[in-house]
Amino acid sequence: MRFSIPRYWRERHSHYRLYAKKCLKCGRINYPPSNICRYCGSNELEDYYLENEKAKVISWTIIYPAPEGFEEQRPRIIAMLETLETKTHIIAPLTDILPEEIKEGMIVEPVLRRIKEDREAGLIHYAIAYRPVIGSIGTKEQ
Amino acid sequence: MRPEPSVGIIGWGSYIPRWRLSLSEIARLWGFAPETPRGLNVVEKAVAGRDEDAVTMGWEAARNALLRAGIDPKEIGAVWFGTESKPYAVKPSATIIAEALGITPDTMATDLEFACRAGSEALRISIGAVASGLVKYALVIGSDTAQANPGDVLEFTASSAATALITGPAREAAAVFEASYTYVTDTPDFWRRAHQPYPLHGEGFTGEPAYFHHIINAVKGLLEQTGLRVSDFDYAVFHQPNGKFPLAVAKRLGFPKEKVLPGLVTPYIGNSYNSSALIGLSRVLDIAKPGQRILLAPFGSGAGSDAYSIVVTDKIIEKQDKAPKVDDYINRKYMIDYATYAKFRGIITRIR
Repeated sequence: MRFSIPRYWRERHSHYRLYAKKCLKCGRINYPPSNICRYCGSNELEDYYLENEKAKVISWTIIYPAPEGFEEQRPRIIAMLETLETKTHIIAPLTDILPEEIKEGMIVEPVLRRIKEDREAGLIHYAIAYRPVIGSIGTKEQ
Repeated sequence: MRPEPSVGIIGWGSYIPRWRLSLSEIARLWGFAPETPRGLNVVEKAVAGRDEDAVTMGWEAARNALLRAGIDPKEIGAVWFGTESKPYAVKPSATIIAEALGITPDTMATDLEFACRAGSEALRISIGAVASGLVKYALVIGSDTAQANPGDVLEFTASSAATALITGPAREAAAVFEASYTYVTDTPDFWRRAHQPYPLHGEGFTGEPAYFHHIINAVKGLLEQTGLRVSDFDYAVFHQPNGKFPLAVAKRLGFPKEKVLPGLVTPYIGNSYNSSALIGLSRVLDIAKPGQRILLAPFGSGAGSDAYSIVVTDKIIEKQDKAPKVDDYINRKYMIDYATYAKFRGIITRIR
């Protein structure tokens, strides 16, 4: 086993549902979650999940020399996103997209995907990736 | 006890991957007659990407069903996942989806296996569970990244897609179950032994003694039980291993082609196994009008078939536009070649 099983389990809500904290004082979203608001210093925060928020692409990078375990997903596309409702910044993989289809400002939505797996017999790591909203990228014939 | 009338479909949703492989590409590679795809009445098949599997596809179908249901995920008391391509041989897929949708921990969850009709068996179980009051809502998922031995005739149609249904009290439902009936026997038409990567099928068994015998008897059982006639149904949705069998079984039962075509998805995406009939139902629910009656008849090898009579209510209108429709996914497509398909589906052997 090369991957840490306890770590994957401990972070499953961050991976599956984009677990964050919402400050009850200033209303801002702390992502990754924090027990002290990094914007106003308040310690009154509640659980918040960014799993349903669409986002827009601010910037991205295309990684050709994929790290070990990611060879089958080459090239990896990692984007910086801003969610539409709470304006939270997230760095996440883009999926279901070709490098030449990415545009600044395009709207993407969170989907659960296989991010990596621990060789043939180990755990499969599932987490949120983002893909263009359904209907925004059409057929090859377009 | 006839539990069906108190239970209905609260939400439905499907998922189809973006990638498509032309059947003529398969015929070219493996030296089949060029007209083979036309004989199957299937043009392309949907292929799950390298980061997709039955769990991720089932998750998205379930999310769409939740959007249409408009309920708190915590109110779901059962997550039943029907598949024959679960990512883990041992470790439930249902709990991954339940956790990722915020349904855990106060719920039942398990994976079911019965070739292509495990999801349909889950649907019948859910009717009993909701009617008895054991759960308020149940999430039923049929999802498969269907496997086929490369070069086998099954490879033409084995595809990837998922469909989810949330069942619950009839008074909240977009469509209610009027009746259901199941017909099973021990039939050696299709199987996969433990540790084998691909299924085998008994030549000559897949059609007449398996598909046609079980579906026809399930539908006849339903009609006898209810007194309904073929003409009482506005739509007929059958398991669709190819584009021809559903039309042939409809003809033998007396359903005209136009009642079958709205629920016939396989010509565009191939046979998605546990989602095969259910995605046909999903597509019909996307367009159905209040008062219409739908016949649903999934089939699974081994073998068995279920027949359901489903009546649409006026609540369907407000739900239809709350999530992407089956046709939105059918139209989202990008053609890939056989090499890409082989990489996506893990057919190329690598040391990892």
